[in-house]
Amino acid sequence: MAREIHKLQVARRAVQMAVVVVLLAIPVVSRYANYLAARELDKTLVKWDGTLQGETLALIDSGFRALPGGEKERVGEIVRDREQVLTYTQGFRGGPWSMEFAGVSMTDPLGAAESVAARKGIDKVLMISLIVPIIATVLLGRVFCSWICPVGFLLELTEKFRRVLRFLELRPHNVLFSRATKYTLLGVGLVMAAWLSVPVLAYIYPPAIVSREVHDLVFGMFDRAEEGRLGFWAGGLTWMSLLIVGIIVFELLISRRWWCRYICPGGALYGLLGALRPVRVKLRESKCTRCADCVAVCPVGLNPMENRMGIDCDSCGVCISSCHDDALGYGATRYVKEAPHDFSGTEAVSPK
Amino acid sequence: MTHDVKQTLKPNGLGRKTHSRRRFFRKSAGTAVMGGFLAAVAGSYMRLRTGGVAPAKARGPLGIVRPPGALAENDFLASCIRCTRCADACEVNCIDFFGSEAGPLQGTPCIVPIERGCTLCLKCGEACPTGSLVPLSKKEDVDMGDAVVDDRLCVSINGTGVCGACYTACPLSEKAITQGIRNAPEIHPDFCTGCGLCEEFCIVDEREGLRAIQVVTKRTWPYKKEVA
Repeated sequence: MAREIHKLQVARRAVQMAVVVVLLAIPVVSRYANYLAARELDKTLVKWDGTLQGETLALIDSGFRALPGGEKERVGEIVRDREQVLTYTQGFRGGPWSMEFAGVSMTDPLGAAESVAARKGIDKVLMISLIVPIIATVLLGRVFCSWICPVGFLLELTEKFRRVLRFLELRPHNVLFSRATKYTLLGVGLVMAAWLSVPVLAYIYPPAIVSREVHDLVFGMFDRAEEGRLGFWAGGLTWMSLLIVGIIVFELLISRRWWCRYICPGGALYGLLGALRPVRVKLRESKCTRCADCVAVCPVGLNPMENRMGIDCDSCGVCISSCHDDALGYGATRYVKEAPHDFSGTEAVSPK
Repeated sequence: MTHDVKQTLKPNGLGRKTHSRRRFFRKSAGTAVMGGFLAAVAGSYMRLRTGGVAPAKARGPLGIVRPPGALAENDFLASCIRCTRCADACEVNCIDFFGSEAGPLQGTPCIVPIERGCTLCLKCGEACPTGSLVPLSKKEDVDMGDAVVDDRLCVSINGTGVCGACYTACPLSEKAITQGIRNAPEIHPDFCTGCGLCEEFCIVDEREGLRAIQVVTKRTWPYKKEVA
């Protein structure tokens, strides 16, 4: 059992990394489609050979050519099927804030909520792009936070880095804040959006920031490459990246997983949407030996041992992998009513 | 072993009582941080309301060019969620975004025709997840603005040459632009989509950012122009 669950964490990391790759690849695909539509791709590939921009374009090119129908035979040689590849490229747009992946449109419910609040109306297109995220959240809960969100991934790695600080005896603080903050921020943000008629949380919600900043980063590098200045360049980033850097520093030194636990308005909305999720982390009380290992590892700072996985739980399953007694698992019900673990037969160790 | 809500568990499972005054300060600290974020956003908005320099992409009196199918400016600002899908979908990479100097316009798409005009591929409308850009099926339905010719600058009109670059560049030439004597352009605003290809390809480069034919829209910078 424990082995199997460990695979779940491996799968989660794999999905998180895949999301980062997709996030970086989509703007490159967009520029690739520009060159392909203008029939300048082959020229560009030769011109930029060996540079960062040229190599990424070549990588994307080989990827699309490997897809079914990506290549065709013309006068005895294999060439790229331009029309088919252009059709494929149109299925990839945006970032984690609002993404079209393989033709499926998905929008963050927070973005949709803000758009609706500010505009005081809803569009059919927006409802269509909400289908996948809302169904997934209602069934599985806040899984966006633990499986998809690139900032959540970044902050998980930050949390790991706190161990290094502890090893160096730098002792990072862990100041606790109120969890209610994120629900308040969500409410206040939506009211502000309705009042100012402008989306407000879109400017401070990290996945939205990452969506725009990665787009600007990649497009900025390609724009410079067209002017002949090849190589890495990050000068196009705005103050919004500093917000994310600030969050990382704060979490590293002052409060563990501060943003996701206490502040994130998007996580709050995902939590509320998934409040009645059928698939949730559940505790089998008859197996639990009260070792509290799960309490220490929970990234959201909950107490799985007391079965208190309310709307804040993002179903990441870290507590399940940490459990030695097979007492935690995903289940369809919230609480399994059973007799508590029978401690008889175990040696009683009295505290001194 | 039960814990009441006010207790926090240490990794060893032992409870630690959190004092209510400390809890109060922590709650206040969280609220203060949250308020700070929102105040920064609201502040940039109010600063522009009361004064602030319009960014170059707002094109001064010529007005902002939004991608094809954009809603009326107020609705557009409200419903656009500042993702980047329109620019990712754009066939010629003509869609640019306002930067942080633009306050509440930050992250909204615009077209700067003098750098790159729109070829009316209409992919952005398909890509928009919020309906801020209404999907259009015909090039003729697009109305981003109208091209306006400056008679003193146009070489075909002022008599210094024979050009016709705008007519050649126009995706709806013969409808939106017709040519008179010595290729002098004549604009028909009913058909002109405001794509700005004429502005991009206009040969007049008298001063930086000045062409003989320019797209004029009604979406001028909504905030006060200059700090007094």
